[in-house]
Amino acid sequence: MDDRVTRRELIKRAGAGAAALGAGGLLSALGKGEAAPKLLPGHPLAPYESPITPERVEFLKGKPYRGVTINVMVVKATVGDCVKYHAPHWEAETGGKVNIAEVPIETLHQQIFTDLTTGLGRYDAYQTGAWFYGDFFVPKEPYIVPLEDFLKDPRHPYWVPTDQIKSMRTLYTWEGRQYGALFDADCQILYYREDILTRPDYRKRFKAKYGYDLPVPPRTMDEMHDVADFFTGWDWNGDGQPDWGIALHAKVNEQGFFHFLTLAAPYVISPENRSFWFDPDTMEPYINSEGHVKALEDYAKFVKNGPRAMLQWTLGQGWNLFLAGHSVMEPTWGDLPTLAQDPKASKVKGKIGAAQIPGTKRAFNPKTGQWKSYTLNQVGNVNGGSWHLVLSRFSKNKEATYDFMAFMANKKNALFNAANGWTGVQPSMPYEFFPPYGTATVKDYEQYGWNAHDIKVYLDAYYKDLTNPLQETYLRIPGAAEYWHELDVNVSAVLAGQMKPKAALDDVARKWQKITERYGKDTQRALYRKSLGLE
Amino acid sequence: MSIYEPYRGIRRALFYAALVLAALWVLFPFFWAAENSLKTTAQTFTRGAFVPWLQYEPTLGPWRTVLSDPDSLNALVNSIVVSLATTGVVILLGTPAAYALARYDYRPLTSRDLAIWFLTQRALPPAVVLVPYFVLMVHLRLIDTRLGLILVYVAATLPFGVVIMRDVFRDIPLELEEAAFLDGANDLGVFTRINLPLAVNGLVATAIIVFAFNWNEAILASTLTSRVAQTLPFFILSSRSTRGVDFNTASVNTLIAILPPVLLSLVIQRFLARGLTFGAVKG
Amino acid sequence: MRRSRVLQYVFLAPAVLWILLLSVFPLASTLYYSVVTYALGKGVTGFVGLGNYLDNFRSPTFWHSVWITLVYVAVAVSAEMVLGVALAWAVNKRIWGQQVFRVLFTAPLFTMGVALGYLGVTIFDADTGPVNYFLGFVGLHPPWITTAFWGLAAAVLLDVWRWTPFVFLVALAGLQGVPPEFYEAAALDTRGEWPVLRHIVLPVIQPVLTIAFLLRLMEAFKVFGLPFALTSGGPGTSTLVYSALVYLTTLQFFDFGHGSAMGVFFLVAVLVIVLRLFHVMRRQLE
Repeated sequence: MDDRVTRRELIKRAGAGAAALGAGGLLSALGKGEAAPKLLPGHPLAPYESPITPERVEFLKGKPYRGVTINVMVVKATVGDCVKYHAPHWEAETGGKVNIAEVPIETLHQQIFTDLTTGLGRYDAYQTGAWFYGDFFVPKEPYIVPLEDFLKDPRHPYWVPTDQIKSMRTLYTWEGRQYGALFDADCQILYYREDILTRPDYRKRFKAKYGYDLPVPPRTMDEMHDVADFFTGWDWNGDGQPDWGIALHAKVNEQGFFHFLTLAAPYVISPENRSFWFDPDTMEPYINSEGHVKALEDYAKFVKNGPRAMLQWTLGQGWNLFLAGHSVMEPTWGDLPTLAQDPKASKVKGKIGAAQIPGTKRAFNPKTGQWKSYTLNQVGNVNGGSWHLVLSRFSKNKEATYDFMAFMANKKNALFNAANGWTGVQPSMPYEFFPPYGTATVKDYEQYGWNAHDIKVYLDAYYKDLTNPLQETYLRIPGAAEYWHELDVNVSAVLAGQMKPKAALDDVARKWQKITERYGKDTQRALYRKSLGLE
Repeated sequence: MSIYEPYRGIRRALFYAALVLAALWVLFPFFWAAENSLKTTAQTFTRGAFVPWLQYEPTLGPWRTVLSDPDSLNALVNSIVVSLATTGVVILLGTPAAYALARYDYRPLTSRDLAIWFLTQRALPPAVVLVPYFVLMVHLRLIDTRLGLILVYVAATLPFGVVIMRDVFRDIPLELEEAAFLDGANDLGVFTRINLPLAVNGLVATAIIVFAFNWNEAILASTLTSRVAQTLPFFILSSRSTRGVDFNTASVNTLIAILPPVLLSLVIQRFLARGLTFGAVKG
Repeated sequence: MRRSRVLQYVFLAPAVLWILLLSVFPLASTLYYSVVTYALGKGVTGFVGLGNYLDNFRSPTFWHSVWITLVYVAVAVSAEMVLGVALAWAVNKRIWGQQVFRVLFTAPLFTMGVALGYLGVTIFDADTGPVNYFLGFVGLHPPWITTAFWGLAAAVLLDVWRWTPFVFLVALAGLQGVPPEFYEAAALDTRGEWPVLRHIVLPVIQPVLTIAFLLRLMEAFKVFGLPFALTSGGPGTSTLVYSALVYLTTLQFFDFGHGSAMGVFFLVAVLVIVLRLFHVMRRQLE
């Protein structure tokens, strides 16, 4: 389950967690420039909010948004369904009306930005993926508005943005200002079959073959490869068919390249280097550095550890291999353990292990051009969509729209979202994690169908990833989708044997330079530095 | 219909076998869609799950999910209205235009030049015209309306109507017209009473094609509509969510999407059968 | 023979006007964007003349896309023409169940490209799909969409399935315009069905077939939903058909400059090809 933590570490972490919570609360109170608001645990006028301020209770008495209609664009997906679920509750409380337009994910970016760039502004809020942010801030006056003023107003649903785990919160902000209201929190970690990796007979065979104990979980990339190799090609789950070491959903243009981003992080990110994409001083691409090339070479080695077809598998197909019990590991999103809880879809409920993505013993610094050794260089990530609502600058009902956004960010609704798998929402607030990190209880999750063992390992690893001080920076500059696409297609070509790693990444670097030129090197550099928190 | 009977004896059997094989080939994807529509997501990725109950446990889940979504009914209605209206307008405007191109010259251009011009309207990849159309519809305040979609669809499929029907009309012998003229008919009468009846087969084929094109049009619809005027193809695009593609609900949507046009074509082809007698009379 | 000039223009005008009004703007817009650079949020950032075109021509991805689109079109459209005419000829005989076959063979026309592509993902899955299941009995196991060749093959197979009905429908309408007496007259001169079909009937329905061919060709060059939903253009960009490339460039990246240049190139290339073919086919008949 957990890594074998020493008691000292545990106490240290508990202390750090408590301090963070306390400090966070104190800071947020300081940030508000006034004493923390008085909070009630709930009120009959607002059955879906808890905690709630007395000012809000007063506010709701007058059905403040009666006659107001807000238009919200969401993705036609689990995260969009979640918004649709909350809308009627908000309407009942406030008297307002929410019109929801659902848009397929392929056209989401196009729909949002054709709406914004033509000034049409038909929507008050858009459900956005974290990688769209750069595009919102290109014009002099950004397309979305910050939420600080609304946050100061105690008549809106209560939530504290600064409580959110910092690495995640970064995706909801720009240059330190809050633009998003709490919703989804994606990151990729390693899921594995704990029951298989702990089987004594398999452990014996592994040790005989590799000379060291089968690590549960693998801590380094080398270990991960050994484990994947060991479990490939024979029937270890007793169903008569040979099984696999890893499952990937590597289809091009289908979020498959996140695998590479996640697995490559520890080769390049280190205490010495925080930048994965570009040189923050010159905006030259880092993507074809020695570290990146080695990462890609290693990633390509995983191809033999799964069915060849996985090169073109969509998310569901990749997850299915693990859920049906045929692969022993999968580095992916929280959807995997969530789906594992459904006995109709999964054979692995209660058998899951989770851990941070393995690290490396050597990482490359693209700035200095040197490799450096570490005991263990493990990097966290916030890779994924982390879908949430942002407020359009063209909205004529900003206050009401913010009210709806905050409604879903209120603790009661947020916890509901995190605990219910169908919402597609993952946790990022302390009250969604178990002690010593937070205040949630296993029952909070079990009541919605979670297996106690699975939820504990999953949240534990998730939290560790999100709070890892070493994070792979998320690309949030204009054209992020384009940069990623060029990387995506070349990584896919490497996996399929159509290109060699170094040539592929050199090609990506060249293409990235062109894209940067089109957007303007100086503006890109400035925005990139800002997204890294450098000025 | 040709006079040919499909052979005798063994060749006849082979002939029908070939036809049946072709029919199976046509049916297989529909069959597979039906299978997928009764499976859970996990089952859509399972090997050898062909025979329901024997090899997998079928479920109505995907059907319930789709049918209980109020947007799907809205999308269905929109698709029907938009496709029917567009087809109607295309036939209404395209048929006379095609006839005119078949019978007249427009110096200095030839009728063939004009036909080619119509043809070239379909030569731009849809992706480049999306944003201009979007901007145009914004100015006309027709975004997310059925009318806006119809306007663009008619422009997009009118070339079919004109180009196909032009050849159909050209096949109708001039002698018939000349005879009618001698009898004292005017242009309009000749058009409606001689040419139209003889062109019915072609008209029906054209209508079916135009309808099919508009029914399946996804890329313009996804740009010009978002909520109110959403059509079925837009719905099918939504099978791809943040969690990848839901193959089972996609299959349900696929099956629902082909029902109205197939029914329509059944109705129309009945009509076409009657049209056959016209052809015989023509001699 | 009296012909009314009024009618001549009144009949034609509405169609022409409708199209003119709605397509002038997109065409002009495309031409304009093809000679400027554009970036999301910044708008038009400069005039580059033929720069976008040259960038495209220097890109291997661009030419690869052109090449596979050409191959796709050549194979798929030829198959569709042959199968469509063959099916129409067969169904046009005095066969039992003619109506049923007619409706059946038209049905695929009503499926959406994207939907068919998604369906194809499960049908052609190398390990769990029915195609490889049955091919397995004869010892075959093509990797389908994990490779460029087989991925395109799968897309072409689905395309043929979907579009043969188009040719079938048009060919059938053409054949049905040929009255039975015609065959009787032909039978007096020629023995056997095949020569009649080849030398007598085909030339008669040739105009309608030409139109079907040219229309089908034009549409085929624009193919997008079906192959893209099936392979997403991959692995890499090995199955990225032209329209998909344009779509990604214009709508996912908002790179209107290069995307519009691709559009204009497409327009010109397709027109040249189609007009050439038209000319050649015309000449063959005279």
